[in-house]
Amino acid sequence: MATPNNVPDARLLGEADWIAVTDVCRLCLIDLTEVVELIELGVVTSRGPTPAEWLVPATSLPRLRIAGRLIRDLGVNVTGAALAVELLESRGDLERQIRRLERLVHG
Amino acid sequence: MEYRDYYQIMGVARTATADEIKKSYRRLARKYHPDVSKEKDAEKRFKEVQEAYEVLKDPEKRAAYDQLGSDYKQGQQFRPPPDWGSGFEFRGGPRQGRARAGASHTEEFEDAEGFSDFFSSLFGQRGFGGGAGGGNPFGGAGARAARDHHARVDIDLEEAYAGTTRTLELKRPDLKPDGTLDLKTHTVKVTIPAGVTEGQLIRLAGQGEQSTGGGKPGDLYLEVHMKPNRLFQLDGRDVTLTLPIAPWESALGATVTVPTLGGGVDMRIPPNSQSGQKLRLRGRGLPGQTPGDQYIQLKIVVPPANTPEAKAVFEDMKQKLNFNPRAELGG
Repeated sequence: MATPNNVPDARLLGEADWIAVTDVCRLCLIDLTEVVELIELGVVTSRGPTPAEWLVPATSLPRLRIAGRLIRDLGVNVTGAALAVELLESRGDLERQIRRLERLVHG
Repeated sequence: MEYRDYYQIMGVARTATADEIKKSYRRLARKYHPDVSKEKDAEKRFKEVQEAYEVLKDPEKRAAYDQLGSDYKQGQQFRPPPDWGSGFEFRGGPRQGRARAGASHTEEFEDAEGFSDFFSSLFGQRGFGGGAGGGNPFGGAGARAARDHHARVDIDLEEAYAGTTRTLELKRPDLKPDGTLDLKTHTVKVTIPAGVTEGQLIRLAGQGEQSTGGGKPGDLYLEVHMKPNRLFQLDGRDVTLTLPIAPWESALGATVTVPTLGGGVDMRIPPNSQSGQKLRLRGRGLPGQTPGDQYIQLKIVVPPANTPEAKAVFEDMKQKLNFNPRAELGG
């Protein structure tokens, strides 16, 4: 039985937001050590004096969530996940390019 | 509800060893993982595999499942036997799954963890009340905080441009007087703001797992995914449109009306444009702190020479233009 409609507080985590690494763990279902390692590998940027105080831009969350899923679901290590994320993005860029060219040729 | 043949889903015999099950899971997870797979229905298949592995990797759950016998067939109507689960102590519930919000305006969450009713009816009640979810490092233990839930929402590009609303049906465990848990449907309306992009998160405060001890409820996070668009191709906040133009528009220049996400706008095509050339409409992509641009990829479409008049025009061009498109090939 559905309860009456309600409108919860919906907030978009957007370009202006910087997220604490501890919150990143919660949002991406990923361990703190894994987030720190992904930052050190250059998968995402951060700011802040020490790893525990690092903040990452909310725009990085999609990358970190994919990395987290690959670590969790496929059992790959952090370096493997970092490599996979970059290769997946590269594959996405190439697919977009192919689709653009296909539209040019085939309509 | 329908019976699920977990052995069939995993592609192993009922006598398979734990190692064989693990190997099969790794192979299928790699094949169907939604982040890497190009297989049709990858997300659905992956979820089925995850659910099957959740049961078969756990000796207690597997033994209890095996007690149902081998007479049931995949998809057959099923109700748990009255004495279901007696003598077993399941540890941990399903790992943090990804429920899906589909394309319709009333979105259906399969269950709070993304697994089937079949799984929930057999193992879910214990899972919801249990400690750390298998594989979820944030499940906590003891007097833990209520967990966040994660779901996916698919939207059209036009909705991302203008903003939209979704009605979500959330199924939540509810404690019954006899101490067992039941799934109750809860409806929430969500406003998705304009300018949302692929993979972005929307937080719905307090819409995750409800705390049974009067504590703070968890949040619900919606991960946005963009459906492919017939006209526009999305890249970050930028969009690209392939615009067909006539040869004389390309040669002489023209002002044409171009579709954008915000409606048609007039754009000048410079003279001597070529097929594949890109033009930019600044700020006509997805809105945001830095709005995206719209790129126009020109595509010259040659009219067919299927009438005497059309043939005469092409003959005239041939005579007068002295044009060799293969000059660079030395032809």
